[in-house]
Amino acid sequence: MTGPRFEAFLARIYTDPNARAAFLNDRRTEARRFDLSVEETNALMKIDARQLESAARSFDTKRAATVRAKTHHTIGARIRRLLSR
Amino acid sequence: MAAEVDDRFGLGWRPQLAAGILANLDSIDIVEVIADDYFDAGSKHQRALATLAAQVPIGLHGIGMGLASTCRPDQKRIDAMARLVEKIQPESWSEHLAFVRAGEIEIGHLAAAPRNAGTVDSTAANLERAAKTIGGIPLMENIATLIDPPGSPLDEPQWIAGVAAASGCGLLLDLQNVFANCMNFGTDPFAFLDRIPLHRVATVHLAGGVWMDNGQLLDDHLHDVPDQVHALLRHLAMRVSQPLTVVLERDGNYPKMSDLLAQLDHARQAVRDGRRLAAA
Repeated sequence: MTGPRFEAFLARIYTDPNARAAFLNDRRTEARRFDLSVEETNALMKIDARQLESAARSFDTKRAATVRAKTHHTIGARIRRLLSR
Repeated sequence: MAAEVDDRFGLGWRPQLAAGILANLDSIDIVEVIADDYFDAGSKHQRALATLAAQVPIGLHGIGMGLASTCRPDQKRIDAMARLVEKIQPESWSEHLAFVRAGEIEIGHLAAAPRNAGTVDSTAANLERAAKTIGGIPLMENIATLIDPPGSPLDEPQWIAGVAAASGCGLLLDLQNVFANCMNFGTDPFAFLDRIPLHRVATVHLAGGVWMDNGQLLDDHLHDVPDQVHALLRHLAMRVSQPLTVVLERDGNYPKMSDLLAQLDHARQAVRDGRRLAAA
């Protein structure tokens, strides 16, 4: 079982390069610092570092791309044009 | 006889595709709109969306609730979706089997939840909370992940089946995500499909991806749907009897609309082939 603190820990190492580096340097100490359970700590010990870095890079890229065009900026004009035909 | 008549094929609404979609509504059965883009939109934009909904069936697709979590979802987002559903009257709404924030940290995208009995229960509870306000339980979409989520004694098919059973939700099955996860974690995508409750699949997403230098497959939605994903669609159509709504997603590197319509035709053919094989 995992809880909200575990998800917050994951969110932190997915988004913060310093937190990620500290975690990869000493996983058990970082888990203890965030008061995670033994089961949660053991789960963190199994994380594949390569996958973690890859996922973090992907989240980073997608956050940057989230400056996404709002679809409603164009939908209004398009619909009005369609209806005026 | 192949029952193709009830299957439908459509596109994800994107500003860059708007003109092409509106010009080809005779060959597009449904349009899927990103709901979050309209949560804070003015009434003019929401009226335009309602007008679009009068032209073509619409599905509202949420991306930011983070329902697959041991944390409760933000009630403001649920309320915003409820208002939009009330205004647009879509034929369905959907969200992702993902968490997107925790401990006040926004991940900024869809993250795979730990797959365990606790998150099965908390996800089902979150779906119930959302359904209570919005008025209907969402279709839930499987996501792609580049990391095997820690804290996961269950594998992905077991976890999806568990959430579906506990919540009663229907599934929005993203076949590119199935393909990507299976390639990245060394499992068989056809076996994956055979282990989830396919009778709950109402909608299917198709998209493309790209192989990265590190050997992982990224679902970037910037490329054409690969043949392997069409093969999965054919397999799915062979295994289910309910009508399917198939939506092609494209988020950039846009080809000509004729190319996207050709990809929809390819999807139609895959479903037709699957239905025919099932009937044989």
